[in-house]
Amino acid sequence: MITAFTVNGQPRRLELDPATLLLEALREHLRLTGTKCGCDDSSCGACTVLVNGQPALACTLLAAGCDGADITTIEGIATDGRLTALQRAFGRMGGAQCGFCTPGMVMAAKALLDGNPDPSDGEIQAALSGNICRCTGYVQILASVRAALAEAAGAAADAARPKAAADAQRRAAGPTPPPQAAEPQSAHG
Amino acid sequence: MSLPSFQLHRPRELAEAVALWTEHGAAAKLLAGGTDLIPSLKQGLFAPDHLIDLGAIAGLTGISRAANGDWLIGAMTRIHEVAEDPILGREFPLLAAAAGQIASPVLRRMGTLGGNLCLDTRCLWYNQSYLWRQSCGFCLKKNGAVCHVAPGGRRCWAAFSADTAPALLVLDASVEIAGPAGARWLPLAELYSGAGDHPLRLGRGEILSRVRLPAAAAGMRGSYQKFRIRNSIDYPLAALALALRREANGAVTARLALTALNPAPVLVAGLERCLAAALAADPPDLAAVVQLVNRAAKPLSTSTVPADYRREMVLIQARRALEACLA
Ligand SMILES: Cc1cc2nc3c(=O)[nH]c(=O)nc-3n(C[C@H](O)[C@H](O)[C@H](O)COP(=O)(O)OP(=O)(O)OC[C@H]3O[C@@H](n4cnc5c(N)ncnc54)[C@H](O)[C@@H]3O)c2cc1C
Ligand code: SF4
Ligand code: FES
Ligand code: FES
Repeated sequence: MITAFTVNGQPRRLELDPATLLLEALREHLRLTGTKCGCDDSSCGACTVLVNGQPALACTLLAAGCDGADITTIEGIATDGRLTALQRAFGRMGGAQCGFCTPGMVMAAKALLDGNPDPSDGEIQAALSGNICRCTGYVQILASVRAALAEAAGAAADAARPKAAADAQRRAAGPTPPPQAAEPQSAHG
Repeated sequence: MSLPSFQLHRPRELAEAVALWTEHGAAAKLLAGGTDLIPSLKQGLFAPDHLIDLGAIAGLTGISRAANGDWLIGAMTRIHEVAEDPILGREFPLLAAAAGQIASPVLRRMGTLGGNLCLDTRCLWYNQSYLWRQSCGFCLKKNGAVCHVAPGGRRCWAAFSADTAPALLVLDASVEIAGPAGARWLPLAELYSGAGDHPLRLGRGEILSRVRLPAAAAGMRGSYQKFRIRNSIDYPLAALALALRREANGAVTARLALTALNPAPVLVAGLERCLAAALAADPPDLAAVVQLVNRAAKPLSTSTVPADYRREMVLIQARRALEACLA
């Protein structure tokens, strides 16, 4: 049967068996392998994508059920080849280690931030509580989302400040110090 | 993993879905949010020739008020809407608490209230891949002839494990069943057969279409106690709902129900009388009420967590819920 949906802004028409899962349509038919298959039984969150802006598990949805939907995957959130603040923060803060859970984590975090630009730590933890990570211990994942929020808040503050005053302030502060937690902290020091 | 192939139907009207479901009977399955059914299809627990997706039917979703003040919730209303609707949550905080602890945030956006009430029963020997079940020996709920939990008998004891069912039972909810002969309402308790291998009392072609919450249950005090290993993602291993109200004349209206212990959600019989006697003593003696819960709970070795542990937990839950609602 023909299924038509929009994936990362592009209209797609696929001839699919009705038993095809959205995850298979994305990975095998559209070759968008950013979305991962972790558990394949609806319990890990690695396959999280956005369907009409809402987080959903691609391993648990029939592709045919998404007919007409607007789907966003991890491949679709960068603009002009520049990663989003969230993606950069996961890289910088050690929120991604083996990286297998990362696409799902980032999409679940994006869904939260799209609806709530100023979440508490508890709200971030709750929103990501369906995503399992075997590597990081989750602390760096929370730190990554926090760092992305801090970057967004900093950019907003910069934009609000008159340019001359900002320049003067920057001059007064001297050369830009290296970002504090720029490197993931190594346990071996 | 790919699903076994089937013919997919996406009816736009409830009547059309009933007609398809009546026509195909045992060769078909209903698909709501799919969070229970899709993993089960992957495990080979069902191999339907036809799948009837209820997702395109307008009018099966939403929360509304009837003329008499009762609340009506469509079967395809998502769990997160039930958990997060502010007005429903104010009137029935117990339902919001139970719905808000189901699975994970993403699964709550996908799963529906109807799917939750019609959830298949669960067992360690059943919710496994085909290969796992083949290796360990099939059981009588699927492909086999013996029960590994109670090997002497011919009954299946798989545990009914939905969270909204006990909350809705104690709130005195009823469900509307649409079928080939029209629609009928029945008290929620009558939806369940008590048999683990065919847990629902639904006839051929019947679909749960709406849930009704009586206005009289609004504003009752409630407590939902859920035990699971992780506080997200996991199904309950023992859970209990209590709704309670002290009436103006001093009498107490109270109902208590269990889930994830027996093959059906259980409304504990005789609770109100037992509680009244317990409260008449000074200080109140809740031990007899806890004993009543103990007699109603029938945990068996259907999960990796031992049955004895789940029994201990439900007794603690009973005490905690009573203390919370009586405080
Ligand atoms: C990892 C994981 C954790 C989970 N944890 C929990 C939990 O903690 N608590 C809990 O309660 N559930 C849990 N679930 C189960 C499930 O997510 C929810 O119960 C959900 O509400 C089911 O709804 P659904 O619409 O997805 O059901 P579906 O999977 O679509 O359907 C479930 C069953 O009900 C039947 N059905 C659906 N709608 C109707 C209808 N209107 N009339 C008649 N039959 C119908 C289907 O044929 C199917 O047999 C979990 C699931 C997963 C995968
Ligand atoms: S209770 Fe027995 S028959 Fe039922 S699923 Fe478990 S092992 Fe199978
Ligand atoms: S792969 Fe979909 S939830 Fe794990
Ligand atoms: S980074 Fe490896 S699973 Fe999360």
